[in-house]
This record gives sequence, C-alpha cells and structure tokens, in this order.
Amino acid sequence: MNRASSLLALYCALIAYAAISLSPFAWMLITSFKQPGDLFRLPPTLVPSMLLTEHPFENYATVLVERDFLRFFLNSTFVSFTAAIGQVLTCSLAGYAFARLPLKGKNVLFAAILATAFVPTEVTIIPEFLLMRWFGWMDTFLPLIVPSFFVGSFGTFMLREYFAALPDEFAEAARMDGAGPFKVFWQIYLPLAQPALVSVFVVAFITNWDELLRPILYLNSPELYTVPRGLMSLFSEYEAEWTLFMAGSVVSTLPLVLVYVLAQRHVLQGFMAGGVKG
Amino acid sequence: MRKRPQISPTLLAVLFLAPSAIGLLVFRLGPIVWSFALSFYDWRIFDTPVWAGLDNYVHILNSPIAGRVFLNTLWFAMLYVPGSVGIALVLAVLLNNSLRSSAFFRGSFFLPYITSTVAVTLAWRWIFSTRFGLLNNLLKGLGWSDPPAWLADPAWALPSVAIVSIWKDCGFYMLLLLAGLQTVDPTFHEAAKIDGAGPLKRFWQITVPLISRSLFFVLILALVRSTQTFEITYALTGGGPNRASTTLAYYVYENAFVHFDMGYASALAYLLCIAVGLVTLVNFHFRRRWVHE
Repeated sequence: MNRASSLLALYCALIAYAAISLSPFAWMLITSFKQPGDLFRLPPTLVPSMLLTEHPFENYATVLVERDFLRFFLNSTFVSFTAAIGQVLTCSLAGYAFARLPLKGKNVLFAAILATAFVPTEVTIIPEFLLMRWFGWMDTFLPLIVPSFFVGSFGTFMLREYFAALPDEFAEAARMDGAGPFKVFWQIYLPLAQPALVSVFVVAFITNWDELLRPILYLNSPELYTVPRGLMSLFSEYEAEWTLFMAGSVVSTLPLVLVYVLAQRHVLQGFMAGGVKG
Repeated sequence: MRKRPQISPTLLAVLFLAPSAIGLLVFRLGPIVWSFALSFYDWRIFDTPVWAGLDNYVHILNSPIAGRVFLNTLWFAMLYVPGSVGIALVLAVLLNNSLRSSAFFRGSFFLPYITSTVAVTLAWRWIFSTRFGLLNNLLKGLGWSDPPAWLADPAWALPSVAIVSIWKDCGFYMLLLLAGLQTVDPTFHEAAKIDGAGPLKRFWQITVPLISRSLFFVLILALVRSTQTFEITYALTGGGPNRASTTLAYYVYENAFVHFDMGYASALAYLLCIAVGLVTLVNFHFRRRWVHE
C-alpha cells in the first residue's frame, strides 16, 4: 500500500469509530426534539420534528418545569460544586503537607490513603450507609458532600506531586522576609498550584455530578433529587416517554460537555493523573 | 519590626493532615473493618444482629443464584477487559499515526467517559429497543432479518451491558495508552522498516513491548472496573431479565439496599474484594514475564 491510501484507510477507521462514539449523543439530541407521535415510526426518522412546530423546546419546558428538572439541576450544581470545593481544599492541604512539611510517619498515612482507594465501593458502602443513618443525615445533601471534605486519594496524590515539583527557593526567600509556614503555603505555593487545583476541581465536579448510588441510598424526597436520580425516577414513573427521557438526559449531559469543552486540558490531565475516577 | 509568634511547620503539617486522617478512619478504614465484622452476622437492618459465624459465606457458596451471579461477573469481565483494552489500543495506535485533527478524534473518543452515565445509558436503552430501536432497524437495513431483542433476551442482556461499558470507557484507556505511545522513539520503527518488518510484526514486536508498562496499568484498571458495574446495569437492565445480567457488584446492592440483608451483602462484598485482590496479585506475578521496565 502506498502512503496516501494507507492514510485514507486510517482516517476512515478513525471517522467510523468517531461515529460510533458520538451517535448515541446525536440520537439523544434528535429524540429530545421529536414530537411524541414520531417516536414509534418505522423506520425511525432522523427529523427533530418538534423544531418545526411553534413550540420547538416543548419537551425541555415540560421536563424542566412540570417534571421539576430545573430543581434537580440546581441541586446537582450545588452538590457537585460544594463537594468539589471540599475536595480541592482537603487535597491541597494534605498534598502540601505530604510534599513540603516535616512530619514523622506521614508516608504511612499517604500509603494508606492511596491503598484504600482500590478497595471496592461495595465493601465500604454498607457501613457508610449505617453511619449516615446514625448521624441523622438521611434525606439531606450532607452524605453527598461531607465525605469530600475529608479524604480524596486522587487529588491528594496529584497535588503532592505538583507541590513536590515546585522549587524550594520561593520558600527560603519568603522565610527570610519573615513569612511563617502558613503564609508560605497560602501566598506562594497555593497560587502556583492553580492548574493542578483546577484539574482536581473539574474531576471532582464531574464525578459528583455523575454519582447515582449515593443519591439512591440517601435521598428520599423528590425535591432533593440530583439530575441522575431524577432521571431514573422519571424513567420508572412514566411509560415510554422517550422524548422527555432524552430531554432530561441532555439536561444531565450538557453541563459536563460544557466543562469538558471549556477546560479540556484540565479534564484530560486530571483524569490521566488519577487513572481512576474519584 | 516586631515578629508575630509563628506556628511550627510540624504543627502545621498535623493541622493540614487532620481532615484526611479523620476521613481515612471514619469513611475508609472503619467501614472496611466494620463490613468484615458484619459479614459474620445475620442481620436484617430492622432486627438485632445475631452472630452467625461463617453461615453467610456457606450460604453464598451453596446458593445457585450466587453461583449464577459469579459466572455472570466472570463472563462480563471476559467481554469487557479484552473488548475495551483491545479497541483502546487500536484507536491509540491509529491516532498516534494520524497527522492532523487528532484533537477532534481524541475529544470524541473520550467524551463518553466523562458524560453523565445515567443519561447515556438511557440513550442506549432506547437504541437497544427491540422494535423501534435505532440498532435493530440499522441491522435490519443491513440484511439481518431477525436481530436479537438485546435487553429482553437473557443471552444478550449481559453482553449489552458490556457493549455500553466498553463504549463508555475505551476512550479513557485510549488516552492512557496514547500517552505511553508518545514516549516511543520513532527511530525503532524506522530501523525495523529498513529490516523489512511489516506493520503487524512491528506492532507486536516493537510497539507492544515498548508500551508494556502503560498496557499493564490499563489492564489492571480495566479488570478492577469490570467488577464494579452498578450504574450502567441499574439504568440499562436492572440486572434482568431473570438475573441474566446481575453481576456481583449489583447483587451486593440488591441484597444490602433492596432486601436490607446487611450481613449477607457484606460477605458478598468481601468475596468480591478478595477476588479483585487475587486477580491483581496474579497479574503482578506475571508482570515481569512481559512488562519491560
């Protein structure tokens, strides 16, 4: 094969897989703009027929207002944002201490934080559930947010690496000027770690937005539902209203696509550094 | 200039590490020990726990349902691990050879991994729909007159879960492998080309050994993930039809939070954990046979 034709084959393969990768999104979007009557046509049509009517966004209006997805959206945003902030806070403190502060035995703690990340959720979720019940946190956002303020393996690992790679000279110079160890952290090293902090934030935001098991276990009142939880309950309550299910799915997907597009570099670096979600 | 009293660096370290240490104890080490203890009790959540010794484990080993669930988990791993890592490897090699616009392809392959799991799984559920679904109408168009009922067919339900999981994760594995490929020195390939090695031979004898470290890491990751199937199963099949797609992780959820049989579920979770640990150990044992440092 000559070079041109092998390049052509290469691009055909890449385009074919891109189609497989993206078509479920396309189908979700098209279905969300269909009129219910067009759902069960054979063969399926690719026409987003609702767009041709006087109310092009009717499915979305129904889902957001009548089926309460606007509230779910706000809940998800609040929970994911707060949990991600907690994760950045805790992981930056821990990462900095592991990298740059003296303490005997800190490596044992670090090893334990990393090792326990590989224990399956199934093992810890039952005691976690009992604990949350005992705290009286059932049917609140607390079980979805508070654990993020305490421990995060991937973020701690990533920030430890990042702080360790920064040069020592800044600290020495600041110390000469009389800055205490906290000031050195807060005014010098933390601002320098900004790219890594953003990575930890976006990964935590995405992971928390996507969470399904915990909202199922901890949230009973529909007004507290997150978007994925609300989507599952919409799906089980209504029969085959795929136009609405898909509009809800777009509402659930869009913020993550937006984060990805706006902060692509941070998203890629964050997930690659972690190797695991969460 | 008057100096303010300063906190010592060691005290600061203690303060900075306190949340993580507390979190580790309360949300990780504590629960790990607690669920191990629970696995020796007979406890429906509304009753008092009763010591049961090894009963839970004995019941699991004698239960035909649990046996079915173990086999399902194994079958899922056999589909998911080679499927996702294989596709990821091919995509990574293709992308590494392409000239331009690889950012677009990389972005589209990775997108499924970071978007809302429940949302894309529902979209797939609609695609898999037997009569009105996109997939079966496409297959009929291609000449397959009697395509399977996918989610409603006990033989196809678990492979369907595997298809969605592979579709969702392989872009992530591709990214990790691509990072490995980009460290490979192209002169190796040039030298082999001059010696007359074809593309397949170059792939197996140069590319794979040179990225064996990332490949090993991705394989471990895929293996661990193959045992943690909750969201996709929940939203796609609910473990059905008739338990055909119930895997171990899903069965833990069902026993713990549908039947509230906490002791039995904890024992299942521990068996899952032990199985994952064993598989990982075996992999590390064979690591030096094929992974080049």
